[in-house]
Amino acid sequence: MTCDELRLDYLLYALGVLEDPERSEVRAHVGRGCEACLAGLRDARVLAFAMGSAVVGPNPSPQLRNRILAAANGISERRWNWFTALVAAGATALLAAGLMFYQAGSSRAELAEARVAAQRSGAEAAVMRQALELIQAPETREVTFGQDQPAPPRGRVFFRTSDVLLIASRLPPPPPGKTYEMWIISGGKPAPAGLFSSSQTGNAIHLFSPTAPPTQSDVVAVTLEAAGGVAAPTSKPIIVAPL
Amino acid sequence: MFPLILAVVTKGDGDLMGRLQRRDPQALAELYDRYGQVVFRLILRMVRDNGVAEDLVQETFLRVWNRVGGFDSDRGAVGPWLLAVARNRAIDYLRSQSRRAESAIDLNETEHPELFADLSTAALDFDLVRQVKRALDQLDSQSRQAIELAYFEGMSQTEIAERMGQPLGTIKTWTRRAIQQMRAALGGAVPA
Repeated sequence: MTCDELRLDYLLYALGVLEDPERSEVRAHVGRGCEACLAGLRDARVLAFAMGSAVVGPNPSPQLRNRILAAANGISERRWNWFTALVAAGATALLAAGLMFYQAGSSRAELAEARVAAQRSGAEAAVMRQALELIQAPETREVTFGQDQPAPPRGRVFFRTSDVLLIASRLPPPPPGKTYEMWIISGGKPAPAGLFSSSQTGNAIHLFSPTAPPTQSDVVAVTLEAAGGVAAPTSKPIIVAPL
Repeated sequence: MFPLILAVVTKGDGDLMGRLQRRDPQALAELYDRYGQVVFRLILRMVRDNGVAEDLVQETFLRVWNRVGGFDSDRGAVGPWLLAVARNRAIDYLRSQSRRAESAIDLNETEHPELFADLSTAALDFDLVRQVKRALDQLDSQSRQAIELAYFEGMSQTEIAERMGQPLGTIKTWTRRAIQQMRAALGGAVPA
């Protein structure tokens, strides 16, 4: 058969429903590199795409997006909530959006808000990627803090050999001239682990790479200190999270 | 509503696919944001069950996520590839439900990433989608039913003939007429 005779069969071939003898003819033309047939098939694939795109109907549920991303990353739904919160970041965006997923029963509206925030990009993207990688890593461990307190900061610490990530809510912004400082207390001795702030809505995220791997006998703590930080804590810890 | 987003989504896909190949989870999120609605609507149109459709959308994106390494991000058109994968997932489901025999053509053969290289991305825009929709609307009912059975149910012409109770030759005439009319309606958008 000639290319001209086959040109109305390209679409069915591209759709996988063309039968013999036309199918074998198209295959033979393609097999010998027939330019006309190859071009016709490319156009047929564009047409098939347009036909599929022309379908009208309802939208998928808002949860589907999270399901797919969680499955792709091989992480549990529980961790996915944190993952989403982090993606929602670009740190300041995260602080603004809050650790909404820390609260039980995240609403659809919150998920939608997180999606919007997730589309933002910021200077903290590299940090966020590192945080995401940390949360997803199979060797990462996590502990919670503040669960049994009436009105404290609450949150989690994710940690592994090379990283410690603190995520907190209900942590008011530090007063002017002050900052939060994280500590890793090992053998009763606190080592500085970086400065951070929190948002107006009381949310904070802080990632630190310690020189020595944290162990499960260590404690992560946070104190309020003078801006610029101090070498040793000078106030009572606001957050205490035994690893 | 037409997926207006199609007018712009095909333009920046190269960078997106590159990031997907580097296993950037955010890139998958962006891919979903660009195409999730279109993929879902297509699959729902085919399987007519919301829950099943969502499961198949998930399968579609995971399949692309896991096979994106074979995609040429400089030459490939991800939208057509993604929809081909979606359609195949839905056809697989329909076949499993109806116990229909598999088509002589392996569906995997129709969704190989290399097949979606060098497509005319200039044609992948909203105008094309609108023109195709209009052309489909203008088809006579028999031609339209025949081409829709081929597209949305993955039926061969023999199967369509059985479904519609018509001779195979008649079905071939109808499907070719449908394709011819669509191509005519499209004018230069999809060159002959």
